[in-house]
Amino acid sequence: MQMKNVLVAVTYILILITGCGQQVSEPGKKVLILGFDGMDAQVTKSLLDAGKLPNFAKLRDMGGFSPLATVLPPQSPVAWATFSTGLNPGSHNIFDFLSRDPETYLPSLSMADVDDPKRKLNIGSWSIPLSAPEIKNFREGVPFWKILSDNGVPVTVLRIPVNFPPDECGHQLSGMGTPDMLGTMGTFSFFTNRPVEKTSETGGRIQEVTIQNNTIEAVIAGPSNPFKKEKEDLSAPIKVHIDPASKSAEILLQDQRFFIKEGSWSNWVKVTFKLMPLASSTGVVRFYLKEVNPYFELYMSPINIDPENPALPVSYPKDYASELAEQGGLFYTQGMAEDTWALNQERLSDEAFLEQGEIIFQEQLRSFQYEWKRFTSGLFVCYFSTTDPYQHMFYRYIDPEWPGYDKERAERLGRVIEETYIKMDKILGEVLSTMDKETTLMAVSDHGFAPFRRAVHLNHWLVQKGYTVLSNPSREESGEFFENVDWYRTRAYAIGLNGLYLNLAGREKMGIVEPEEAESLKLELIRELEGVVDPENEKKMVNKVYRGDQEYSGPYAKNAPDLVVGYTRGYRGSWQTALGAAPATLVEDNLKAWSGDHCIDPVLVPGVLFSNKKISHNDPALIDIATTVLDEFSLSPLPAMTGKDILE
Amino acid sequence: MFKKKITIEKDLFERAGRFAKDKGYSDLSEWISDLMEEEMKRTQGGGPEGDKDEEEIKKKLQGLGYIS
Repeated sequence: MQMKNVLVAVTYILILITGCGQQVSEPGKKVLILGFDGMDAQVTKSLLDAGKLPNFAKLRDMGGFSPLATVLPPQSPVAWATFSTGLNPGSHNIFDFLSRDPETYLPSLSMADVDDPKRKLNIGSWSIPLSAPEIKNFREGVPFWKILSDNGVPVTVLRIPVNFPPDECGHQLSGMGTPDMLGTMGTFSFFTNRPVEKTSETGGRIQEVTIQNNTIEAVIAGPSNPFKKEKEDLSAPIKVHIDPASKSAEILLQDQRFFIKEGSWSNWVKVTFKLMPLASSTGVVRFYLKEVNPYFELYMSPINIDPENPALPVSYPKDYASELAEQGGLFYTQGMAEDTWALNQERLSDEAFLEQGEIIFQEQLRSFQYEWKRFTSGLFVCYFSTTDPYQHMFYRYIDPEWPGYDKERAERLGRVIEETYIKMDKILGEVLSTMDKETTLMAVSDHGFAPFRRAVHLNHWLVQKGYTVLSNPSREESGEFFENVDWYRTRAYAIGLNGLYLNLAGREKMGIVEPEEAESLKLELIRELEGVVDPENEKKMVNKVYRGDQEYSGPYAKNAPDLVVGYTRGYRGSWQTALGAAPATLVEDNLKAWSGDHCIDPVLVPGVLFSNKKISHNDPALIDIATTVLDEFSLSPLPAMTGKDILE
Repeated sequence: MFKKKITIEKDLFERAGRFAKDKGYSDLSEWISDLMEEEMKRTQGGGPEGDKDEEEIKKKLQGLGYIS
């Protein structure tokens, strides 16, 4: 009888270990995938040739290295969604950073959305949520780690983009698409007594402060209180004592007190917002003291969701984020953590931005090392962001043709990108020195990089050519969200970073292009756009225009742009075009620090693939990775997955 | 429904009536009402509801490096 009980117990434990009775595929098998966002094939090859990436060279020699075809358009959410699911965008539903609503012509974030709880109980001024917030990941399809997990394979997935809220299997930490506590992609705060023209700017909020007896009193602007019927923003008081002599400050925030020196970053600090009696919400912030005098300037990072007490699900299981924080300290949970807008707006200097980037990199490295040490079987996927924001922001120092090129600063900062690749090489070195021979290793990136010198106002071109008609033509321009567009006379419009849509009758709310006219209009637009040149230098600005109906297939292909504009190197859709504005010129210099980009023709910006196994195809593509990983575990891809197995 | 007379060219009235039918509206009044709403929304920045939508969209996109 006792023996029978033992057998039952052993069987039960085995069932638990093997994933609720499902068959374990390839027990003991290990696959590690390192994802380096934006690692460019051309830059990688030249650094390999120069002997500066010894570990990538070693991996290449063990198996192979190849440029990796990216997706259309080559944007991170689109690319990582394809990586995860092995599907083309027509099947996973992510076509751009922004999607558009044909009912309103308004854009929205394509990756995820968080909405208020549907059920609430109103009592006086209070509104008590009776259900959880509605959080939706717009990525459709089944990621390969879910298929593996369903087949009993242990999986750990760290920070892969478009994975918020994280898939409910194995261990997951969400990545790009995860908002800050304000529900934004990242809103910094900047406290200063320097006179400012406006208190809000792209990426952040400016708070004017006064100094009395070397003391500043201010408030941290928090999220709206979800427990209040009427909109009420939460806040937390902050007090700063400055010491001009030592160029430092003492910061008092709730029950915390700490010192910070000019030109340095604070540790993580918790900030608690009282929602109602007995209910509060916690975020985490870091401060950077930019200047003490003559002007006081204090930067505060976006309020990140506290991994130890997450207000929204940033990990699966829910307490996994807390486990990572316990092991390696608090960390940025915000999806795109490097504060590129703070650098664009010169609230952070190049140097301060790099220090922030290093903090983020070290946090990512610590979570990687924690998991790598305990990785004994199954799948481990880890994403590193640094290569992407550093190339966006420091391309201006390796590109003498960038319109604001500064030779002197380029001499000092022109090696940042190279050093970043070398840093990634060191991670790989750590892996190679501790990896056993049975592990399959892949290092991949989602796209490459190109200079961003000139910004193309695609909606201006559409106005100029009569495809978009302005309601008030005497203004010669339209603000964002098409505010001066006459939809009843408009045939095409651009929104997002590469998308162009017909104003199609029966699809768009005020569509005027009849379906039978659509084909000829598309052909006309393609012909004209592929011939458009920069009036300043007669260079072609568009390399190729792709047709959504030919490039995408699957249940969501109907949501795709009708045309996808593949710019040439050096050009990109303008900042204004992305939000549906039509400024009064066709193209202008891009003078923002954001000087590198990849939202161009995908054939011009391939990513990379390294593996310790031979690469068996000449033309590997990002869409092949999911199928390849499944094959490593002897599992078949789902029918909709069109990728091939690319490893021997 | 509130009724109020307006002066309009006969030819325009007839053409507009046909157009409204082609567009799937039940009658010209329905189309005119829709048109007026849309025009006011467009020229007045969408009215309070439209402003709220745009504000909410801007808030959610705030900080996305690729757009300004």
